[in-house]
Amino acid sequence: MDHKSDIYYIEQILCGDSNVFSHLVDRHKNKAYNLAFRICGNHEEAEELTQDSFLKAYRSLKSFKMKSSFATWLYRIVYNTTISHVRVKKKGILSLEDFPADATDFIGTSTSEEEAEKEYRASLVNFALQKITEEERGLISLYYYDDMNTDEISEVTGITKSNIKVKLYRARQKMQEIIEKAEKKKLIYHE
Amino acid sequence: MNNQEKYEEDLLKKYINPERIEMAPQGFTSKVMERIQLESVHEKVGERSGKKSFVPVVSAAVTVILLAAAILIPGSQTDSLTPAVLKLINNIKSLLPELSISSMFRLTLPSVMMYVFVGGLVLTIFDRALYGIFHREDKSKVKS
Repeated sequence: MDHKSDIYYIEQILCGDSNVFSHLVDRHKNKAYNLAFRICGNHEEAEELTQDSFLKAYRSLKSFKMKSSFATWLYRIVYNTTISHVRVKKKGILSLEDFPADATDFIGTSTSEEEAEKEYRASLVNFALQKITEEERGLISLYYYDDMNTDEISEVTGITKSNIKVKLYRARQKMQEIIEKAEKKKLIYHE
Repeated sequence: MNNQEKYEEDLLKKYINPERIEMAPQGFTSKVMERIQLESVHEKVGERSGKKSFVPVVSAAVTVILLAAAILIPGSQTDSLTPAVLKLINNIKSLLPELSISSMFRLTLPSVMMYVFVGGLVLTIFDRALYGIFHREDKSKVKS
């Protein structure tokens, strides 16, 4: 396991050893990819956008002032790159009819009923994420998956703390509504 | 109760499992590194083509200087360089077969054209030599 700090690698890169950048990619790729995926909702696009973001980070490494952590700075690039991409390419609106009725639909791909329920919940969250705006998706991802507080989210997104609270609250309400509707549909399906 | 406190009893927390993050696909790091390597090769080639585009500019500048010198410096002016250049030209002329282009095409060429021809010849050799050097440098750097 590699325990050298991000700053150490950045300094090595700035001294001309570009291969060291692979350590930074390895360290941050999953969280960066997860953020891109939660916002755009598509694996191929998320991969492309995360790669683009790493390339942008590499090109602008000289301008990285080290005021924030490298991770925060990178997430800002991923967030902005993905949001701009999604804004240009708006998706069609999904209907609740498109969503599977319950966990039994996932049993074929899962090892147990419990696993199937987890898969069902994860898919329901992804489905609900697609029903909110790209900005809200980014905030939800940073808050719930990356466990960031509003100060950190503000650093990544450039949105004020109070605005983040309001936007997160609205996004959460919308998603809860969708999840509750899906759960009701599940009950009707079982009656 | 403020929003922050409401998050504590959040329904989404039951559904969102932070452990279940989407993982970057296999080979992601190598793909990024390949793109970085490719980009740096392109940058180097770009820099070198910038250097190459400088060669014709130098050639043109030297040609202009030669032409201006041929026109502006009077033939009668004697210095240490002019007789040497004239001697060199006469040597080249004596080596070449006797051909009078003027009489062949019934043209009257100004005397300055002699300098232009010689200058052009020298610049062509100079240009080919430079091209050879830059081209060989490109190939070796791209391979490395």
